[in-house]
Amino acid sequence: MTRTLLWLIGGLLLGGVIHIVAILTLPLLAEETTWSRISALKAENRMLVLDRVTQGTPNPLRLDPELSYGVCEIDLSNGPAYLSGVLPDAFWSVAVYDQNGVVIYSTTNRDGIGQTVELGIFNAAQTRLLAQQQIDIADGLLIVEAPTNQLFVLVRLSAPHEAMRSRFEQELSEINCGPRT
Amino acid sequence: MRFVLRLLSCIAIALTVGFGLSYYALTDGRLFGAVTLGPWTAWPDAGSPAPNPYTRGHLTREAALQLGRSEGLQFVATTDSDNAPLKLECSYLLAGHVPVSAFWTLSAVDATWVNLAAPGTDPALRSSEIVRETDGMFRVHIGTRLLPGNWLELAGEGEFQLVLTLYDTTALSGFASSDASMPSITLEQCS
Repeated sequence: MTRTLLWLIGGLLLGGVIHIVAILTLPLLAEETTWSRISALKAENRMLVLDRVTQGTPNPLRLDPELSYGVCEIDLSNGPAYLSGVLPDAFWSVAVYDQNGVVIYSTTNRDGIGQTVELGIFNAAQTRLLAQQQIDIADGLLIVEAPTNQLFVLVRLSAPHEAMRSRFEQELSEINCGPRT
Repeated sequence: MRFVLRLLSCIAIALTVGFGLSYYALTDGRLFGAVTLGPWTAWPDAGSPAPNPYTRGHLTREAALQLGRSEGLQFVATTDSDNAPLKLECSYLLAGHVPVSAFWTLSAVDATWVNLAAPGTDPALRSSEIVRETDGMFRVHIGTRLLPGNWLELAGEGEFQLVLTLYDTTALSGFASSDASMPSITLEQCS
């Protein structure tokens, strides 16, 4: 009897091990990830406005139908990337994602930035150069330190009324994104 | 013979516990990374730069664009306040307050996240579009049949889920002053 009980407890412990292994390896085994969905859009170094969500159509990225989204893929191995431009006077936010779909940085325009987006994204080596004043940057640039090189930036913009949306999306698509030329 | 039986039951328990627990943790996840407020579920860690392993698994399973922590928080409800699944054959009343936020949006989607609003209507309701009571509380009717007041008009049949996204919110951010009261979802009538 005791021996059977020991076997059952052994089974429970083994189950715990399987659980931990399954949770930890799941992100590595996934084939369709946020990154693969974004890189299929081919938005390298440009601001691509995503299609609006409408009734009855698939929405794999789970976008909010009320918001306009601009996405831009960047690679820091070619030098730091910058996001600059002017957005309309409405709620907008910027998020930087890594290859795992994890948000490494996010901010909204309610944090006192106003309408201008000036964001510089640097990897660890570039941040060190920045500290040594080896890279020239403009005053007031928001500095984001990224742990990896492959990233994408997402700008969410909320037009308060449907009538403004086309104009807002036009302004969103005019944001510059990518290495400084 | 006895050894083989014990070995088999040991393996059976290990597989059931291991994979069953993993499945539970990534779908319901209440004990692991998800927070529930009434019928609403959110993953507050989903927008943080260093999510815990369970949230990381959840992010991988969804493969969606998560809101960063300073951008907002998304709540999903698959049941009403009495724990019965939401069905398009019935109408529901969403009533109450939401935590402090710049604005919020409400939409209905099916299990594969396809928007269920009726064709020709707005795919989502926005906090600035609704009429409120004098005390700031709001009531939104949700259903396929004509309903008075604020109405999120839906189409189709089967089960659905409600998505309430709060932008620039203090909900679950750990600030002591933030209240975490979410609106209730009550069943009105079924056809």
